[in-house]
Amino acid sequence: MKKEISFTLNGSEVTVTIDEHLCLIDILRGPLGQTGTNEGCREGECGACTVIVDGQAVNSCLYPAFEVEGKNVITIEGLQEPNNKLSVFQQAFVDHGAIQCGFCTPGMIMSAKALLDTNQNPTEDEIRDALLGNLCRCTGYVQIVEAVKQAAVQLKNKK
Amino acid sequence: MKRFNYYKPRSLDEAWELKEKIPDALFIAGGTDILVGIKNGELYPPALISLRSIPELNSIKINGGAHIGALTTISDLIHHPALYNIYPVLVEAAKRLGSVQIRNVATIGGNLCNCSPCADMALPLLVLDAKVRLQTAKKNREIPIDEFFKGPGETNLTPNEILTGIVLESPRKSAKAIFLKKGRVRMDLAIASLAALMEMEGEKCQKARLAAGSVAPVPLRLFKVEAQLEGTTITDKLVAEAQQLAAESVAPITDIRATKEYRRQIVSVLVKRALKNILGWSQA
Amino acid sequence: MTNFHYIGKEASRPDGPDKAAGKAVYIQDLQRPGMLYGKIKFSDFPHARIKHIDTSKAERLTGVRAVITATNTPEIRLGFLRDNFALKKDKVRQYRDEIAAVAAIDPEIAEEAIELIKVEYEPLPGLFSPHEAMKEGAPLVHERDPQGNSRTDNLVPLQFHHESGDLEAGKRAAKHVVEGTFTTPMVQQCCMGTAGCIAEFDMNSNLTVWAKTQIPFLAQRDFNRALSDMGLAGKNARVIVPTLGGGFGSGLDTHCYEYIAILLAFRTGYPVKIVYTRAEEFANLSPRQSSTTKIIQGCDQNGKLTFRHVEVLQDNGAYTSWGATYPSVMMMPATSLYRISNVYFNAQLVYTNNTYCQAMRGYGNPEFTWALESNLDELAEEAGIDPFDFRMLNSNKPNETTPMGLKISTCGLKECLETVAQKLNWKKRYKKGKHRGKGLASLIHVGGGARIYRSDASGLILKLDDFGNVNVYHGGVEMGQGLHSVLTMAVAEALGVSSKRVLINPTDTGTCPWDVGTHASRGAFMACNAAILAANKLRDKIFGLAEVFYPQEVEKNLKKLKKKNPNYKPPDFDVIKAARRENFELQDGFIFIKDGPQESWLRLELARLLRAIHFRNQGQMFTTEVFYDPPNELPDFKKGFGNISATYAFGTQGAEVEVDTETGEVKILKMVAAHDVGKVLNPQALKGQMYGAIAQGIGYAFYEELLSKQGKILNPNFRDYKIPRVYEMNFPIELEFIESNDKFGPFGAKGVAEPGLVPTAPAIANAIYDAIGVRIHDLPITPDKVLAALKKLKQTKD
Repeated sequence: MKKEISFTLNGSEVTVTIDEHLCLIDILRGPLGQTGTNEGCREGECGACTVIVDGQAVNSCLYPAFEVEGKNVITIEGLQEPNNKLSVFQQAFVDHGAIQCGFCTPGMIMSAKALLDTNQNPTEDEIRDALLGNLCRCTGYVQIVEAVKQAAVQLKNKK
Repeated sequence: MKRFNYYKPRSLDEAWELKEKIPDALFIAGGTDILVGIKNGELYPPALISLRSIPELNSIKINGGAHIGALTTISDLIHHPALYNIYPVLVEAAKRLGSVQIRNVATIGGNLCNCSPCADMALPLLVLDAKVRLQTAKKNREIPIDEFFKGPGETNLTPNEILTGIVLESPRKSAKAIFLKKGRVRMDLAIASLAALMEMEGEKCQKARLAAGSVAPVPLRLFKVEAQLEGTTITDKLVAEAQQLAAESVAPITDIRATKEYRRQIVSVLVKRALKNILGWSQA
Repeated sequence: MTNFHYIGKEASRPDGPDKAAGKAVYIQDLQRPGMLYGKIKFSDFPHARIKHIDTSKAERLTGVRAVITATNTPEIRLGFLRDNFALKKDKVRQYRDEIAAVAAIDPEIAEEAIELIKVEYEPLPGLFSPHEAMKEGAPLVHERDPQGNSRTDNLVPLQFHHESGDLEAGKRAAKHVVEGTFTTPMVQQCCMGTAGCIAEFDMNSNLTVWAKTQIPFLAQRDFNRALSDMGLAGKNARVIVPTLGGGFGSGLDTHCYEYIAILLAFRTGYPVKIVYTRAEEFANLSPRQSSTTKIIQGCDQNGKLTFRHVEVLQDNGAYTSWGATYPSVMMMPATSLYRISNVYFNAQLVYTNNTYCQAMRGYGNPEFTWALESNLDELAEEAGIDPFDFRMLNSNKPNETTPMGLKISTCGLKECLETVAQKLNWKKRYKKGKHRGKGLASLIHVGGGARIYRSDASGLILKLDDFGNVNVYHGGVEMGQGLHSVLTMAVAEALGVSSKRVLINPTDTGTCPWDVGTHASRGAFMACNAAILAANKLRDKIFGLAEVFYPQEVEKNLKKLKKKNPNYKPPDFDVIKAARRENFELQDGFIFIKDGPQESWLRLELARLLRAIHFRNQGQMFTTEVFYDPPNELPDFKKGFGNISATYAFGTQGAEVEVDTETGEVKILKMVAAHDVGKVLNPQALKGQMYGAIAQGIGYAFYEELLSKQGKILNPNFRDYKIPRVYEMNFPIELEFIESNDKFGPFGAKGVAEPGLVPTAPAIANAIYDAIGVRIHDLPITPDKVLAALKKLKQTKD
């Protein structure tokens, strides 16, 4: 059965008609055309599909689309700043070589953002805990952890 | 992806009504297990009845003991301002469940109802003597949590019953508890896990509770070990005997994650480490 | 060339910002107008005759556009030995055999249609280990070879054999001899982006395939052959490579699903996309082969190696891929890691009804080095020599030729060993009972291409435009490893332009010159060598024309300057006289006269020069094409001889571990990796390659194993197939790079993509032995294996 839902996507109201059995990732990548959110396993193991719903990182592949009604969703597309500028998180990943094939990158960045939005001074253990749900096969994670540390410092300096 | 209808009742009454109408529908909490089951073709319900929008299921009340709504997410347990101080073992177990992304949607009730032998939240609740509140439109009951688990994926719930909350008594000041888990990697289903709680009076153990995961068809209370420890002065020898007894009490299987022999060994090691940690003899 | 502007400096990758923004377009993201979704019906048995396929229900399903089987499509063969078929007709030989496929208007309908296909089988007895398959009277996986001749056994008809020196004399000279059998499991590449393609025909029946491939040009060849099989001889397949969500060897072959997409696209007349789910990727994409290696080595009383005897047995699975040539790489360390003169090597691959295997990073080297370096520690102990001293004593040296005929040009192995020993504080060992230990292991790998095909070349085109941009067309594949990062730097450095002006175009067989493929750590080595050749050619051309046009243009500069500043007195300098091709220099996009006055008007923007040359009668533009073929040879693998690579990479890794003797868990306290990389091109990219490779080495050492029972994959998901997460990589990793400046390497560099994972597992196993005295022979080193070995050790002591 199809139903209409409305929610806030990256700051804008969207209304979309969906099949009830779909998950958030399906409507992001399908009707909403937001393909930055990647599907890596569809069972909540790899984290490539991580988005932020009401301030919390979730696997969009396991989030029933119907549950986002009225909620606030942020995807990787919502991080970019005006005039084609990357956000602090994204830039830190670029600067630190935290990206290789890039498939895990959007999800990894969203996990990092969800952490730093609520914890401005994360310890390394907290960073590792926040990224535990995101698999990366290319980097060995070393430069990713460095990037998140750097993003934390830059965000603090910004404030 | 198999098709199904998705309902979001706003009240328990509405949820029960839907279930009456669609008997094969499944109640769903965070969905992290059910949605994977559907994807893998293990489950094919015609409809899912989401309990997420029922406000009364989603609260933690603390007065003397605690009442935890079944739809409380694992993250909410971790971030609750008071819960850790009263039930640290519950929060420690919560921290070892899945990833942040999973914990943000997975619920304590869902973890119990999924009834996996490795359910992380079952073990602390077992040693805390928790009760679970089960409700239908007509009936309300509270049962001890160790009566809740029947078999892998099989609970004490009747078809229309909903697990609405978990009831905890206030622990004694002397009670100390610990949760230990071994997986192949950090984020994993347990190969073996253990929660232990002891109330000590001087050298003597007044009360002991042990529960082990992934070593039996259900999360398992180690009654024999408890009985052996209670009322005794704990010595190294007794710990060794408890280890032995624990290893004998469990009935693990060999699967792709570990062999039964290895699981037995790990339970034994976890019992030793848990007891020694509670007694302050060593770090776990 | 020691004063580099770009080479050796930290630089972020050119595709980084798009990837960080979620704008990179993977095969998953790619859409074509009218595109249909393909899905494959795989076998329900590991070995069976196909008696009947009923597709009628699937055909009737609304939204289905085509259902194909081997009976209603032309036969397409594939595989290294052409023993595989896109769709199977009479018999299935593995669970993942493709029986039928559908194209539908959406993926869900395609999936539903697949479930409606009913197949009747006559099950046959299966073979699930090479040992079973080699038994006399075993059922045959292939009754006939691709030529139609009857087969009598399950041996893969490929020979990898080497004998050198005098093995018996080597044995006689040995004072100490050790023997061991070591095994490695099937493991999966685990690309985060799963495999997939889109196939599309135009109305001239020319084909375009967007493919997740590492071999666009060999794929073009394969697809053209398929077109010919389809009655479309003379038509062309164009292969375009989208952003790859990882490669790691998984793209070194063409795959059945690609041919199926092609067949479906031709049948329906619309583009067809097939993308694997994660479960399909695990179960139906070829993993790294499992292997059993029996190794015997001996040394004399001083510890000098006198002989090495190696026999490798590999489970090939049901069909051959390029991965069937793993032993060609195993032969390299077998004959050439450490100095040794009497070597026997033989490898045998066997057909079974397991999933067929293919390439994965390291290509046989991690498997073999696991055996060699574990066994070498055993030999050192037998000889009573410290494992580090033992390796130093037998270390390779520069400018020598090994028994396989490998010409070692530069060799930093000794420096690597010394660096690791120093960083690990090697001579200071833990006391017994601490359960802590240190171990090390080394490697040799191809570092200058690897000729396993008739051509090992790589073409490259540089096209300059009116704005001073350098468009690069190269057939190599960026799959995350950073090829485009170093290629950008190499072009900027060699040509003399800003790296911001270097624009790398998508890899496309229609626009890029031929390259054999991105494998064998050859990407950067080949691309950068080609870039240097092309840049030199281009500079020569520019400098020649600059003799005429440079003086004209700087004269204009001077006029402008004088207008602005009438008092300006130019230096006494004869521009026309100085403007000789050999006097020009191009740097950062400006052309000027070497050793000329430092006046700004004498610095001419390259773009202006280019426009001056372009916009006139008989104007010219600059496009240069080169074809770099490295100085290496296609070895004779039956004889095991030939200099496969232009240069060789060496390295040593060291591990410090602590073992929990109650649980068998191993904790890594520290890893040190010292690699002879020739020259560091981009430290950030290089570190990324090494960290990532070590993580895969950690996975290989401890966690990864594609489990199967009777040919069925038991853990086709990340819940049960474990790769390291950020927590498992929570230990210090010290990287040290030895720069041996190889004469064949671009700027001195060697290929380094694979070496990082090769010695990781044996270094760890050697550390475990040092810690608790047990040797694990079978990867992965799981806690229960450690406990079982400890128990056995205790029993033998008691």
